[in-house]
Amino acid sequence: MARLNTPAMLKINDLTVGYGAITAVKGLTLEVREGEIVSLIGSNGAGKSTTLRTVSGLLKPKSGNIEFLGEKIDGIAGHEIVAKGICHSPEGRRIFPKMTVDENLDLGAYLRKDAAAVKETRDHVLQLFPRLQERINQKAGTMSGGEQQMLAVGRALMGNPKLLILDEPSMGLAPVLVDLIFETIEEIRKSGVTILLVEQNALAALRIADYAYVLESGHLKLEGDGSKLADDPAIAQAYLGG
Amino acid sequence: MTSVASGVARKKKVTPSAILMRASMIMIIGVAVYWLGLNLTSDPRQFAQVTVNGLNNGLLYALIALGYTLVYGIIELINFAHGDLFMLGAVFSFAVLTEALGATGPSATNYALLLVVLLLSMLFCAFINVSIERLAYRRLRNAPRLAPLITAVGMSFVLQWIGLKWIGSNPVNVNTVLPSSDFEVAGVVIAVKTLIIFAVTIPLLIVLAFIVNKTRRGRAMRATAQDKDASRLMGIDVNQTITFTFAIAGAAAGAAGLMWAQTTGTVAYNLGFQLGLVAFTAAVLGGVGNLYGAVLGGIIIGLIQSYNDGLAIGPGQRWSQTMVFTLLILLMVYRPGGLLGETAQEKV
Amino acid sequence: MSNTAPAHTAVSGNRKWAIGFTSVVAFFFILNKFILPEAGSGVQKFFNAWFSLTSMAEIMIWIIMALGLNIIVGYAGLLDLGYVAFWALGGYVAGWLMSPFFSGLNINFFGNPRPGLEFGIHFHVFLVLILGGVFTAIWGVIIGGPTLRLKSDYLALVTLGFGEIIPQFMLNGADIAGYNVTNGAQGIGGLDDVNLFGYVIGTFALPEKFLMVSLMAGAMIFFSIRLRDGRLGRAWLAIREDELAASMMGVPLWRTKFASYAIGAVGGGIGGVGFAILVGGVYADRFNFVISIIILAMVVMGGMGNVWGVVVGAVTLAWINSVGLIQVGELVNNSFGTNINFPSYQFLLFGLLLVLMMLFRREGFIPEARIRMVMNEDKVDEEVSDETKIASK
Repeated sequence: MARLNTPAMLKINDLTVGYGAITAVKGLTLEVREGEIVSLIGSNGAGKSTTLRTVSGLLKPKSGNIEFLGEKIDGIAGHEIVAKGICHSPEGRRIFPKMTVDENLDLGAYLRKDAAAVKETRDHVLQLFPRLQERINQKAGTMSGGEQQMLAVGRALMGNPKLLILDEPSMGLAPVLVDLIFETIEEIRKSGVTILLVEQNALAALRIADYAYVLESGHLKLEGDGSKLADDPAIAQAYLGG
Repeated sequence: MTSVASGVARKKKVTPSAILMRASMIMIIGVAVYWLGLNLTSDPRQFAQVTVNGLNNGLLYALIALGYTLVYGIIELINFAHGDLFMLGAVFSFAVLTEALGATGPSATNYALLLVVLLLSMLFCAFINVSIERLAYRRLRNAPRLAPLITAVGMSFVLQWIGLKWIGSNPVNVNTVLPSSDFEVAGVVIAVKTLIIFAVTIPLLIVLAFIVNKTRRGRAMRATAQDKDASRLMGIDVNQTITFTFAIAGAAAGAAGLMWAQTTGTVAYNLGFQLGLVAFTAAVLGGVGNLYGAVLGGIIIGLIQSYNDGLAIGPGQRWSQTMVFTLLILLMVYRPGGLLGETAQEKV
Repeated sequence: MSNTAPAHTAVSGNRKWAIGFTSVVAFFFILNKFILPEAGSGVQKFFNAWFSLTSMAEIMIWIIMALGLNIIVGYAGLLDLGYVAFWALGGYVAGWLMSPFFSGLNINFFGNPRPGLEFGIHFHVFLVLILGGVFTAIWGVIIGGPTLRLKSDYLALVTLGFGEIIPQFMLNGADIAGYNVTNGAQGIGGLDDVNLFGYVIGTFALPEKFLMVSLMAGAMIFFSIRLRDGRLGRAWLAIREDELAASMMGVPLWRTKFASYAIGAVGGGIGGVGFAILVGGVYADRFNFVISIIILAMVVMGGMGNVWGVVVGAVTLAWINSVGLIQVGELVNNSFGTNINFPSYQFLLFGLLLVLMMLFRREGFIPEARIRMVMNEDKVDEEVSDETKIASK
């Protein structure tokens, strides 16, 4: 797949992020266009999650800026970024284990006031993940890893995002479930949501991506159309275990 | 959760120390049951009387314990200053209701004033609690655990000093608005004050439970308690939620303070330290972080203290605090997670 | 190679401090023993008001207490809010074992009973010091054993409860199932005079008593330094810094914490015995929560973990508490014609001290380099939110 010709939704310009003395991301520049699936791949510690966490306002950048729909969003608090339309399904799922599936989904729509619209999204999410419907009153912490992952993605969708950030949605899942998750991601995109995806499973991530960025120890190493990178032998050797 | 825990426990070999623990626990419970049974059979009327008194104090403990449990639940801090906040609530209500407004003795106007001051006292304590969080605890949120704990102890001292400067070092008698009359049911004397405590605290507890369990704010509180970053990703303003929690905890302490001053008829600057400890024991007994646990723990502690102080066959009042703190230590040994809580074992 | 250089400076630093400590002790001993009795009344009045020997001797006890708590809080990073319990227990050991209190008994083991009060138990002071230490260590084991496996703040709470129970037991102890164990609120008085190899320190021989407790404080300082630099001291530091990493490197967590708690308790016990001898008795109502917090403030102010820092903290706060507040208050009130009750600001002073130290100078005024790092790790990576820190561990 190739890059769409739509206007840019998220623009990251020369971003540097660090923890104390360690710099996790150095001078990263990337762009996500409306309606795209953009994948961020790279090995462990390449700075993928750090980038996502900075976009969501959980980390403050050292320098550089982030623009969302033409508006500067770096440095503002995490909850305000959600209000602008970015929802983030974090690494490790991070569902609320002591709450029911129902309550978790409700929290995903925390900032939305329109009950009817929330109901609509909720129906949509439960249609995407019928398993969640079955478990609706179960404590989220007692579910299997795959179900928790569905909940994490579903919960992020409940915020009715313009941009959905998915951090390692297939981590630790059985192969059957991995396929299901990726199918669902494509389905979500079809419903009009732009997606920024981070994956260890680079091959799958490249296959569904319109455009992809390859990070290596905090630097941007390569970028290009998803399908092209997927066929690139150098990439295959470095990241796809080939 | 419980099934997982017991599964792990089953895998463990039954060590001699585990048997010793279990046996000693059964023995302690056995002694307690025997003691209560002995009193119940020898003088049922007295037993019922003491139970009523215990419920009276227990509900007040529950209100204070709630504050500990809410704050601990959300930022994992034992707010040592909370007991002293309760004391300031009692002192405030005395200064405003009894001294400034001159409401001493039951009358319709005084009851109205009492309700107004109840609200004021709740607001006052909420304000102080929120200020403490803003000024001190918030800045230490990522610091090593020792730092906020020591800060809380320091805050407790500062609040005690305010109380000391406000009413002096000697206990002060309060001419209460609540009537000191009582009536008898089947030989058990029930004070009207006790009924009023029931009438005020039970609705308050229900309102608090409603806020935490059913409202949007409450959901944000519970989410923040479980995972702060994930809550931010939901659009929850974590700082504001913590502020709100401190406000609720403070309000509960303020209400408890006024009710204490009005029912016991005395306030003292060092009231908060001991009662705070008792209330914290209640919170731990119920399972710290668990709202219903705090209420249950408060009532149980109130009963235990009352049984200890009032039963004919028993250690008597001079061992009151010792009983409570011994219970606290035993709890830590046998069931640190409390009755309704999860295990508090350090994850190593 | 870089290890030897700091070690060397640490030793010479210790020497400077030790010389300083010894000189101060020697100064006050000589001053009070030889100079003051013959000095003019103005000089006498000044020293008795600002540096009375009684308060100086008590300061030495505070040093012992603070160093004992420092082993628990400063070395191992465990919060103990009931340290006063060990003080009380040590005191009562002295009360039981070197006084006519148990009048039914008549035991004398190298003791020095007062004439006419030969009944009761009279052990030699050295034996009492040892037994006092052992007794409190046992209590440290009883309290620490089950609770040290729990989260650190639960330990704080249990110690707090313990610090309440023990004094209350002493206060109520005049009638435990019919036996008089502690003589209740009256306390146990009339302790034996100390007999050191034939040299008797009389009840009113203040300079000698001062010298004695100073020697005890000196010994405590010495052991504190040895302990810190030894194997155990490093294990404690490792635990403070990162429990998980320490346990992975083979530091036995529970046993190491346990050791700090028991050894720290010994300090309280020995200090308690010393204090009982100093005042010639032990009185239950002296032991309250405020004492525990004052000792904690001393440790925090001086610099958790740093022996000399804690000594300075103890001296400063003990002096402020016993003489400073009163004397400075009088001075201010007299010179400005005000009427401020300075001692009533004690709570504010100690409370604010704890809060401000934690907010702005967590490592104390005389910090130890390695403690400073541990205490301020959140400032190094401020922008990292709480969750990231957990994740990175």
